[in-house]
Amino acid sequence: MSEKPSTLFVIWALIERDLRTLVKSPFILINRTIFFLIQLFVFAFLVSKLASSLGFNYFEFYSVGAVVSTITSIAFIIGEDLFEEEELGLLDYLLSLPFGHSLFVIGRALGGAVRGLIYVTPMMVLVAYVDGYFSPVGIAGSLLVVFVLATGISGLSITLAMMIRNANRFDIVIALAELATVRVSAAIYPLAYMPKVLQPVAAYSPVTSASDIVRAIFLPGYSAGIYETVVLVLFVAIFFGLGSAFLFRKIEGGRFE
Amino acid sequence: MIEFKDVSKSFKGFVAVKDVTCEIRDGEIFGLLGPNGAGKTTLIMTMATVYRPSKGEVVVNGHSASAEPDSVKSLIGISFQDPKYDRILSAREILEWHGKVTGVEKPLRDKRIDEVLEKFGLTAEAKKRTWTLSGGTKKKIENAKVFVQRPKIAVFDEPTAYLDVPSRLMVWDMIDELRDEGSTVVLATNMMDEADRMSDRVGIMNRGEMVQVGDPTKLKGSLRGRDVIEMKLDVPISELAGEVSKVEEVREARFEGDTLKIVLSNGRGLLPHMINVVTAKGGKVQSVNLKEPSLEDVFLYYTGMKLS
Repeated sequence: MSEKPSTLFVIWALIERDLRTLVKSPFILINRTIFFLIQLFVFAFLVSKLASSLGFNYFEFYSVGAVVSTITSIAFIIGEDLFEEEELGLLDYLLSLPFGHSLFVIGRALGGAVRGLIYVTPMMVLVAYVDGYFSPVGIAGSLLVVFVLATGISGLSITLAMMIRNANRFDIVIALAELATVRVSAAIYPLAYMPKVLQPVAAYSPVTSASDIVRAIFLPGYSAGIYETVVLVLFVAIFFGLGSAFLFRKIEGGRFE
Repeated sequence: MIEFKDVSKSFKGFVAVKDVTCEIRDGEIFGLLGPNGAGKTTLIMTMATVYRPSKGEVVVNGHSASAEPDSVKSLIGISFQDPKYDRILSAREILEWHGKVTGVEKPLRDKRIDEVLEKFGLTAEAKKRTWTLSGGTKKKIENAKVFVQRPKIAVFDEPTAYLDVPSRLMVWDMIDELRDEGSTVVLATNMMDEADRMSDRVGIMNRGEMVQVGDPTKLKGSLRGRDVIEMKLDVPISELAGEVSKVEEVREARFEGDTLKIVLSNGRGLLPHMINVVTAKGGKVQSVNLKEPSLEDVFLYYTGMKLS
């Protein structure tokens, strides 16, 4: 017979499972890496030349935004995973394992963030290098910022997965949410150049906040402070809490039937 | 001991399990019988705390499944009807993770994984992604999770579906072995031969209800008057049917061609007497066949429907 595993051990096991499945999907990893590299060294490089007359280095600006956008996309996958697990009945198996439902929820949300973090760490180091920033502490700080963002995005993704039952509808909603989260933000273009109607929305975007904080760390001439931090933390608190509550409620309510 | 106390489970108005009350004793193999949709899996999921009962209570080794789900889950291991694991992972990775998360220590885990993979003949395929494997192999991996875990309460939902005959025998042996080591086994199946061979007791479910619980032999014996003796004679003698009908236990006797068909209770016990009656009246018996009620007949009797 076996012993009941500890809380930390279970959370780690759930995170490890998410990492294993990510590593086993090289197509997704390669696809997103190539996309990132092309965006950075082709798109950003070219647009940077076009935008040089605007008086700022778009390549540097975009490089940080590309990392933030990438971790946002990866954090969204957790909702797709949960949706698929529910459809395949895999959730029944996971919920039958010897740990509480609340621990399961925490493990999954953190798993989504951790795998995003592991995936973007080399990208973040590459971006720091091309931007001429070499402080390990600053790079670690920027990774912490994107990890916090990914935790909130995981929560948002889980919330959507729990609210929508139809698979096709879920695919559309998750794609739109991902698009809106990244595009209606200052991740890949400055707020000042966005349509005026979107500027107030983008200003409150956690993706904007995370991008601004990382830029403030890496790049001279950029600043971020309490406001960005508060937006980011609030976003995480709301959606990590909401995602967990939705998942927990639906598990307890017997939705996965 | 597992106690189901007036357990019901509904899903948006659909009653999947209705007022089930029964006990599963420590160390027994309990066969849970019923056609697809009878409520077997829902009952198991309620016991495993995946579903919360709409009514009633499940108590596992003194722990309420609703109030102490963590304590209950730490006792249970389930092999699901349809394999439930990450198909992008290999068999070894699946078993490794399952063993780890269910608290099997590393050295023991490795030993058990090697043993189970070898027993199932999966050593060569242990590193392949499981989605590339056959249905039978996937099912073996699903069963293997429980054999690696070796829980106090092992649940197998249709454990031999998709398996060939040697693999079925292997799984049966391994389940027996698990029970011999002290595990209680819940075996949900709609294969009567499997239930008959494996179970110490069976529970028959139909349309969400537990319609009968008992020892398979006793349940079969409870169907009085349903044994059939078929005696093939060299020449049919019409008055023999009337003669054997005089025996109290005989319900019906008639000739079908040159075969005297006798429907009666206690066919096994009365077989010599029936032969004596026939031969005493000049009948020359060429062959005799005794048919006793099967578990399927028991199911048919209590539910009014066939399993398949």
